[in-house]
Amino acid sequence: MSFFDTANLATAHEIISRYPKPKSATIPLLHLAQQQHGWVSDDAMREIAQLTGTTPAEVKGTGSFYEMFKFHPVGKYMVNVCTNLSCQILGGEELLAHAEETLGVKAGGTTADGMFTLEDVECIAACTEAPCLQVNYRYKLRVGNDDFDQMIDDIRNGRADDLPEHGTLALVRQAIPAGTGAGITAPENAREAPVWMARNDVAEGSDDKDGGA
Amino acid sequence: MADIADYFRGFAVTFRKLFEDRVTGEYRGGRAKEGQPDDKRPKPERLHGRHVLNRYEDGMEKCIGCELCAGVCPANCIYVRGADNDPENPTSPGERFGFVYEINYLRCIHCDLCVEACPTQAITESKLFEFSFTNRSDAIYTKDELVVGDDGKPQQMPWEDWRDGEDQLTSGWMRATSSAGDHRYEGVVHWAGELGYGVRAPELGQSAEVASAPADGGEVE
Amino acid sequence: MSRADEAETVNVTVNGAEIEASPGELLIDACERAGAYIPRFCYHSRMKPVGMCRMCLVEVDTGRGAALQPSCMLPVSDGMTVETETDLTKKAQDGVLEFLLVNHPLDCPVCDKGGECPLQDQTVAFGPGESRFVEEKRHYEKPIAISDTVYLDRERCILCDRCTRFANDVAGDTLIHFMDRGNNTQVNTFPDEPFASYFSGNTVQICPVGALTAKPYRFKARPWDLEETISTAWTDSVGSRITVQSSRNEVLRLLGVDADSVNWGWLSDKERFAFEALNSEDRLGRPLVRDDDHQLVATGWGDALDRAVAALQGAAPERIAMIGGARLTNESQYAWAKLAKGVLRTDNVDSQLGDGLPVEAVLGLPRATIDDACRPGGTIILMGPDPKEELGALYLRLRHAVLEDGATLIEITPRAGGLTGLASHSLHPRPGELPALTAALVAAVNGEAVDTAGVGGGVIAAAAAALDGPVTVVLGRASLAETGESVADAAVNLSRLDDVSFLSALRRGNIHGALDAGLSPGLLPGRTTLSAGSERVGEVWPGLPESDGLDTAGILAASAEGDIDVLIVLGADPINDFVDHAAAVAGLEAAGTVIAVDLVRNDSIEAAAHIVFAAAGPTESSGTFTNLEGRVSVCEQKVTPPGTARPDWMLATELAHRLGADLGLDSPESIRAELVSVSPVHHNLIEEALAVGRIDGVLVEGNGDIAAPVSTTADVPSNDAYSLRLVSTRSMYDDGVALRHSASSRGLARGLDVRLSPTEFDKLGVKPGTIVKVESSCGQLLAPAFADSSLPAGSAHVPWSAAGSPAGSLIDAGAPFIDVRVERA
Repeated sequence: MSFFDTANLATAHEIISRYPKPKSATIPLLHLAQQQHGWVSDDAMREIAQLTGTTPAEVKGTGSFYEMFKFHPVGKYMVNVCTNLSCQILGGEELLAHAEETLGVKAGGTTADGMFTLEDVECIAACTEAPCLQVNYRYKLRVGNDDFDQMIDDIRNGRADDLPEHGTLALVRQAIPAGTGAGITAPENAREAPVWMARNDVAEGSDDKDGGA
Repeated sequence: MADIADYFRGFAVTFRKLFEDRVTGEYRGGRAKEGQPDDKRPKPERLHGRHVLNRYEDGMEKCIGCELCAGVCPANCIYVRGADNDPENPTSPGERFGFVYEINYLRCIHCDLCVEACPTQAITESKLFEFSFTNRSDAIYTKDELVVGDDGKPQQMPWEDWRDGEDQLTSGWMRATSSAGDHRYEGVVHWAGELGYGVRAPELGQSAEVASAPADGGEVE
Repeated sequence: MSRADEAETVNVTVNGAEIEASPGELLIDACERAGAYIPRFCYHSRMKPVGMCRMCLVEVDTGRGAALQPSCMLPVSDGMTVETETDLTKKAQDGVLEFLLVNHPLDCPVCDKGGECPLQDQTVAFGPGESRFVEEKRHYEKPIAISDTVYLDRERCILCDRCTRFANDVAGDTLIHFMDRGNNTQVNTFPDEPFASYFSGNTVQICPVGALTAKPYRFKARPWDLEETISTAWTDSVGSRITVQSSRNEVLRLLGVDADSVNWGWLSDKERFAFEALNSEDRLGRPLVRDDDHQLVATGWGDALDRAVAALQGAAPERIAMIGGARLTNESQYAWAKLAKGVLRTDNVDSQLGDGLPVEAVLGLPRATIDDACRPGGTIILMGPDPKEELGALYLRLRHAVLEDGATLIEITPRAGGLTGLASHSLHPRPGELPALTAALVAAVNGEAVDTAGVGGGVIAAAAAALDGPVTVVLGRASLAETGESVADAAVNLSRLDDVSFLSALRRGNIHGALDAGLSPGLLPGRTTLSAGSERVGEVWPGLPESDGLDTAGILAASAEGDIDVLIVLGADPINDFVDHAAAVAGLEAAGTVIAVDLVRNDSIEAAAHIVFAAAGPTESSGTFTNLEGRVSVCEQKVTPPGTARPDWMLATELAHRLGADLGLDSPESIRAELVSVSPVHHNLIEEALAVGRIDGVLVEGNGDIAAPVSTTADVPSNDAYSLRLVSTRSMYDDGVALRHSASSRGLARGLDVRLSPTEFDKLGVKPGTIVKVESSCGQLLAPAFADSSLPAGSAHVPWSAAGSPAGSLIDAGAPFIDVRVERA
């Protein structure tokens, strides 16, 4: 009957108890549902409504405001390619086109094997490392076409241990060790110049570099 | 005496007209006996005659039952009621169609405001003008009588005397928007005809920019 | 709405003119009072402002320089300078409207709102001449039916938040919500969960564009061919004010009118849409009589009236009876009361169909108005039916009082209802034990609280402690399986509280008008009894009954014994509506002649009527309506009745005339004048007052000669271990005559089920939804069983409003409580 499994139901009650009003737990519970199921189903929203004393319409209305909640099945790996300004200048759109070709789906689609969902996204705040993308919200920086193919190949062959499962965003956020976020390298520790500086420097020439977090 | 001269001056017009061609014709409304003349003078192209309800080229009725014609009518002679189109077998494009459409010609003053008001050019006026009724119900034209036939031709009432070309030029309109609010026609001013019957050619300044607009009946994304 | 700090005002300069405003008043309202209308879409005076649409931007200077501010979010402050017509304001209005129209389709010719659309009107008045937007607009599937009566065209929506705010804040049915975001933001329901709110029609009325449209009005007419008149809703006793809009002599739509003391502009969907029954094909346009083959056939008025007169002339007064009358206007009720009691001299007259209260409990206790009940800081004791199910507009007022004005709600009901979530204390006593519980509650105010009627002493003590400020008891008959006497006894107990008054929650149409007109055994018009009022009324009436008569249960029982020769059924359907199904059938079938006066053929007419008079409906005759507060408001004729149907009062005068008596009543005005002359309580019901109270009505106050009720019933024995005590409540949608003939409300009645308290359900040992047998001493039925945790132990609930009122077969009108056995089928 219940959408949440026993452990998650206990977690849900624990989350609700943190707030003065049960309704405040709506978004954490949506995260929990996505973590369990990979996406937020209608059943999940009905149960969240019941748990928080709201209506399913209210839960869906709240959840659907946020891009990162998925209300339809998505692949095990969300590949978000940035096509916003900095990335666009430095080849983000070409990277997206290449990704579409490699994965055989258009942006917004999911591969037939259910492994990848490709999305083009607005700025993901790694402009210094353009073009960049995220896989399950983990950054891949300065991604070239070959890097992309290599990354897909690694994931398909199980060599992507650093990537969390989709739906664990809330957990991941809490668990990111300090210093591993994108573009947060302290200036004194920077070993190489941002790629756009390198391109401006004609003498040095430029090649796409694999950033790697 | 000056009085006598004035007297005859008063008759000047009378005497002059006596020798001019007569204006009245031998009009018998198609009911002339053998050998009798029956002349009908050609009507101006924009005569406000009896109305017709037009169709699109695919046979759909243009009227959407919006009642704007009834609302604007100064003589209160139009009665319209809208209804929901059957999605499987629609009468008109879109959701709504004219379910009842009646014009009372005992009241109509042929001002053409209904034609001006119509957002879909469903109602236009033909040059047909013969309204001689023997009872009131004949004078109230219903939708069955007003709507053009499958060929776009107005329906001939028993009391109407049609001569060559009189049923022509019942329609044709310059439109700045399309009926049913089709976005593809947004801002496109073009000349639209109906069914190929009685279509007026564009007049000066009403250039037919149909080429820039997609054809009717295409798929709407 | 009165403000406590009336004396304090602030000065605001609006377009150069200084005006006074009260602190807290919103700038948009203050400007409108000053004659400077500020355009708005999202702001609605009966809802909290949100500042969604930005249409009301005006230049406001509060000493820091002029700046554009949304006037609907800005309370006035002293020294504020407002400019509503500057170039900057106009530019802002132009810009906002251009943006709103970016995605709004220009399909006004097919849109039901076209012609009365705030977006259209304000674009003409305040908007730019043309749009610079040439790109493609949004497209959605259209229209989608979000409920049985409401359609949604999402591409027309301008996201003003009015409907969603109404659903969440006012009605409490958050079934529609904004979904998605940005350009894709849309109002929608959850998949497979329609906007099944009893109040969904209000969202159509407040939608400032044509995004929400009502199915019953869809494409029926355009605003310019509608005529309207103000009137009063008749499907329940709240007396919500409405406008009746018609075109070509057909009523097409009802809209709520903002009466400050009654419904605040809101209507329940039943009030709004049940008018369809008046246009139904089954409306009676001619009188009917039963022919030799026992078929009802149409006839002329002369024939029908003559047959009625023949039957009445041969009958002794005590062998004539009249039941029903709550459908009628006050004037028609008075005319029929005068005919029955004054001419026919029978007192066997009852407008309550066994589901009401003793008249002393309604008329003899200190009475409250809706505003009294909703006083900030007051306490509301709900001891009656679920207002959400039976008195929609009252529910919205009570909900607002609790949520926004800090009223305290204590619920003494047989089970959880629409207001339970707002009640600070919910007491669900065992059926039949209301008097004991209320006695315990009153005792607990100054003393010890003990466990009573299945409710814990602690709960009672807490509820007693919560009693604060003036107390208003919303008093009605929650369960049809309990007697009205037990509710009256409970009311007597509660009347011992300090500063307490009572708001009647009898639900049936104009029932309060019927009681005021004396359509009850032992009553005469003007809240007086047969003994106390005989002198006053006897001066005007040709005669009076000799002794007190029978109530509906008594009439039906007497009729079944063969003691009733003529039974007049005045707009009632006892077979479906009287609490005891078997008694209704037996009484109707055994009556010598049954004369029915009604709008459509109902089951009672089909089964038993010999003569049927076709009456004019509420939109087809003029008169007044008395609501549950005693507030009298006008109902105006808008269309002509079908066929030769006539107003009810005219039928009474015609019958009297043929019986050789002149009622002396020839118009609703003359009837009102006579009512005022015989009834001191109606002294203020003069034509001038009705004209002044055109919106809010005229309050008829006072108890007249009706004394407070006295306790009657003895202690109720508890039920034995094998049986459960029955609870039967009504819901808004039923299978009654009005809804059965309304195209859009037909079939919305809930299905039959039986709900048991969880312990009883577990004892039964079946899965939820299993068909079980419910058997009482007088009948039985089969229904799926479910658990209901709000029911007290030892009780079972069977809904009254399922098709055919099957609960009526379980109920014995004479029993103080009904015990049933629930067994596996």
